[in-house]
Amino acid sequence: MYIPGHYIAGDSFIHRLDPRVKLLSVIALSLLILSANPAAEAVISLFLFSLIVISRISPAVLLRSLRPVFVFIAILFLLHLLFTEGTPVPPFPDWPVTVTFEGLGRGLTVSWQFVLLVLSASILTAATCPTELVAAMERLLRPFSSFGVPSHDIAMMVSMAFRFLPTFVQESARIKEAQMARGAGFTKLTIKSRLRAAVSFSTTLVINSFRRADELATAMEARAYSRGHRTCLRELKLTRIDYLATVMVSTFIGACVIM
Amino acid sequence: MIKVRDLSYRYESGNEPALNGIDLEIENGEYLAVIGPIGCGKTTLIRHLNGLLIPSGGEVSVDGMDTRDRENLKRIRQKVGMVFQNPDNQIVGMSVEEDVAFGPGNLALSRHEIRERVNAALTLVGLEGYKDRAPYSLSSGEKQLVAIAGVLAMDPDYIILDEPTAHLDPLTAKKVLRVMAGLHGKGISICQVSHSMDEIVAADRVLIMSRGEITLQGTPSEVFRDPPALKGLGLELPPAAEIMWRLKGRGIEVRADIVTLEEACAELAGLIDGSQIRR
Repeated sequence: MYIPGHYIAGDSFIHRLDPRVKLLSVIALSLLILSANPAAEAVISLFLFSLIVISRISPAVLLRSLRPVFVFIAILFLLHLLFTEGTPVPPFPDWPVTVTFEGLGRGLTVSWQFVLLVLSASILTAATCPTELVAAMERLLRPFSSFGVPSHDIAMMVSMAFRFLPTFVQESARIKEAQMARGAGFTKLTIKSRLRAAVSFSTTLVINSFRRADELATAMEARAYSRGHRTCLRELKLTRIDYLATVMVSTFIGACVIM
Repeated sequence: MIKVRDLSYRYESGNEPALNGIDLEIENGEYLAVIGPIGCGKTTLIRHLNGLLIPSGGEVSVDGMDTRDRENLKRIRQKVGMVFQNPDNQIVGMSVEEDVAFGPGNLALSRHEIRERVNAALTLVGLEGYKDRAPYSLSSGEKQLVAIAGVLAMDPDYIILDEPTAHLDPLTAKKVLRVMAGLHGKGISICQVSHSMDEIVAADRVLIMSRGEITLQGTPSEVFRDPPALKGLGLELPPAAEIMWRLKGRGIEVRADIVTLEEACAELAGLIDGSQIRR
């Protein structure tokens, strides 16, 4: 089962980059995308497409990552299409709410911005394994730990969220089956019985999660987890290709900002 | 040695003490089993052995270190490892390697040392080659072995297992028990809490608990010698001992101290040969 955002192993230039470089680049790119004019958008699109080619990730896989947000993007497009003032596209009538040329333009640019945002995040998660992503987060937050930001605890929490997501999926399926076997109304026609089934399902999942968290905390304590110094199996190190990538991305972003 | 002196413990919500004046010593290299009906206090007792719980009364010390002293806890938890019932809720890392490295990381060992310990631990439990596997792709038995490896990587002297095979099928349970026996052979003290009488016949010493106290202690043969007392406590005999006891009840002369299937088979074979039973 493909979960959107799943890591796809590979050995491309992008895969080999330090995850901090990738994470910061995506954040910078996202800010750029949000404030871009249509011309800059086109250039950024070309940039992202070239990244997809370099990373050798199949475009089909990345398209699938857009599926969960497809409805949202469609609604966004429609809203701009219909509610932007301007000259109506024939044969649509001249009403306050109608399809206009300006609406078409704005709809396309805004929804494309969103597509670019999701794509850049997907390239990041597809070319960077979760362990590295968390390590990058921890390393980037570490300087702030002297200001009270618990960088290591945050990294631990994100890491455990990654670790348990598939487990939750498996457990949800099990809970649903167990409740259906006892006559819960997941497939019944009335909204009332479906709602009740959904509530009982969610309650069980939440309660199980609390119990699980409790047992996990005990197990971690038993393995001497505590505040204070810990060492990690992997430490991130910047290499030549990271400096190269940083220069390239910064130049690109700088050029776009000027544009 | 883990020393427990006059240990009492009362939960906040409890009317009665969960533990009532327990005295116990766990020697280096011994295999101790703890059994008892639900609510007898066995889980509460073992949680005191690595400082997860602090005594309400009495004291617990590991190799001379008192568990009430917070400074000692890290060292105590390195020496006394604990494996829990639910295989899933012990695995923290995103990969097997990362999870087994969790313990040594908490001890702030060098990266080189962590890597060596991870490899050694995985080999000991028979999971070499599993380093990059994700937890959700493992079977329950494999997860439990990863949990044991995670504890082994801390180089403990004592390993406490709280019903480690409760969530496992019989075949996988046997595999885990074999790993535990192997570790015992290497000189690690094993303390196993179990519900299954069958599993503990290999123990050096068995502790039977009831209502917060130790009711009976001894070798497996000694402890299973009084079936009515055990049944009164709500416990079952191991299958081999149960058969012998019932045969005895029918007037057939069999040894009273048999606990393993092998001994039972030998005894029955002897009976048949000796024609004490009508064919």
